[in-house]
Amino acid sequence: MSKSIRRILGAGIALALLVGTSAQAANWLALQGNEVPGAAERANVWGFVQPEFQYTEGMELKAGPFAGQPAAFNMIAPDQDSNSSFNLRRARIGVRGTGFPLDSKVNYFLLLEAGNNGITRNGSGSVRLTDASVTLNHLKGARIRIGQFKYPGSEEGLMAIHVFDYINFTSVTDQLMLERFLDSDGSVASVGANGPNGSVGAFRDIGVQVYDWFDTGNWEHSYAAMVGNGNGIARGDNNSDKDLYLYWASERVFGGQGPRRQGWKLYGWHQQGKRTLATGTSQATADFDRKRWGLGTTFRKDKYRVGAEYIRADGMIFNGTDGGVVAGTLNNAGTAVASFNMLPEDEADGWYLDFGYLLLPKLELDIRYDRLNRATKTAAEERRFGTLTLGAQYALNKKTRAILNYEIRDAEAPRLADSAVPNRILDGMDDRISLQLLAVF
Amino acid sequence: MSDPYKPSLVSSGLLAALLLAPLAQAAPDSDKPFAEHKVVLQISDDDPFKQTLVLNVANNLVRHYGADKVDIEVVAFGPGLRLLFAENANGARIHSLAESSGVRFSACENTIAAMTRQLEYAPGINADATRVPAGIVRILDLTGEGYRLVKP
Repeated sequence: MSKSIRRILGAGIALALLVGTSAQAANWLALQGNEVPGAAERANVWGFVQPEFQYTEGMELKAGPFAGQPAAFNMIAPDQDSNSSFNLRRARIGVRGTGFPLDSKVNYFLLLEAGNNGITRNGSGSVRLTDASVTLNHLKGARIRIGQFKYPGSEEGLMAIHVFDYINFTSVTDQLMLERFLDSDGSVASVGANGPNGSVGAFRDIGVQVYDWFDTGNWEHSYAAMVGNGNGIARGDNNSDKDLYLYWASERVFGGQGPRRQGWKLYGWHQQGKRTLATGTSQATADFDRKRWGLGTTFRKDKYRVGAEYIRADGMIFNGTDGGVVAGTLNNAGTAVASFNMLPEDEADGWYLDFGYLLLPKLELDIRYDRLNRATKTAAEERRFGTLTLGAQYALNKKTRAILNYEIRDAEAPRLADSAVPNRILDGMDDRISLQLLAVF
Repeated sequence: MSDPYKPSLVSSGLLAALLLAPLAQAAPDSDKPFAEHKVVLQISDDDPFKQTLVLNVANNLVRHYGADKVDIEVVAFGPGLRLLFAENANGARIHSLAESSGVRFSACENTIAAMTRQLEYAPGINADATRVPAGIVRILDLTGEGYRLVKP
């Protein structure tokens, strides 16, 4: 498919989504980590598994110092050893409850990840603790959660992943919100690749959160304020600055309950913190601001669901790998190893529009367009990613479903000539097919 | 002239009311004179699913026979008393069944006392529930009066 056709199609889809409606109108603050008063178990064991298969044509890099070698964006994550792969994306098991069932005011939530992904791939060991929190419901209007849990933020990050309507995140969520923690900005070619120093952030942090939700007629209002380390999961802080997270949502509730409650939600969020990074030729270490904020809406009613969100990022912009190759690859001249890169003082923004229609009681059709404008302050580094995802979900039963996605992917360096190396590399970005089976227990 | 030593109708009524008062406080009598079916539903499990189930059963009985034709009392004791905690998430359903269908809810005082000792404070009990001295005794009394015991 040519770029122009893709652009027209993308714009058309975007317009259709604006005219139509969007995604999950659910209160994630209330659904995760809170137990039903007077009706919760001491220990409710639950979890889910997500085996999947992903495929691209595996086009190799067309230009640059790594020409002819596999392109990172055409290899299947997290291993990036092949352009087609079966993978156990997620395998999680957890326990949640009240511990002392007579007292509903104290809840706990524990979750382990044993799948093959950015959480387990870059950490120590193949099983990682993703959630471990205690919630205190003693104060009316100010519930308190302490421990490791999902921080207030973007809809894709905050939502329960086992009700996610697609297989892969949007580019804006993947690159701006799913944080990679690096020690260096990657600006100095070194013998060893500059890789992640731990698990991806997984939209979680360790800290304390004050939050609650209130009903006013048909509207439900939620707020959350959190302070956390800002240094990922299952480890302490690496600097004295703490991250601040703020969130507000107001939802007109139409009916139902749970993650697929019908309603129309408007929300906004803000995150700010500092990250420690070695930069430049001297690789001197300093702290850099990392800010993110977003606005969004979701809508779900009858057979329709729609979602839209706009996200801005200031500082700590993940900038992919050298030459678009798989990190750790030696260049053709044999002089440098490809690293991950970070632009600590650049900016980015992105958005997505998502639409789902329940065609049959067990079959939902989905379509999503997402855009990421990365490194917008620097002409040479700016990249634009646009992805149109066509999807179908078939529910075998209420807790088991199959998801099929076809992603029409496009990327370019908008302020460079078409003949420039980055654009020749990005021309080789393949479409991607994904099939996933999800079983919740 | 009336005999001052002869009990008047008023005083007889008061005496009767006083004698019956403790019984009325223990549990309300049925106000369904046309009920053709009398059912007592027992909940004594800790399982939250059982809470939903017992309310579903009560609701289904009312829908099938009609509110006037079926007399239902839910007796909660032991771990099942959590259904009648004031904070219980099913409070709206309980109120609806009590208000519109005349379903009665009885909370065991023995269990309340035991839970008070464990919690170190008295749990709040649903305003639609009536306290009975002992849940199991209440069930035996009701079955003796012709109620059928069902434990979903």
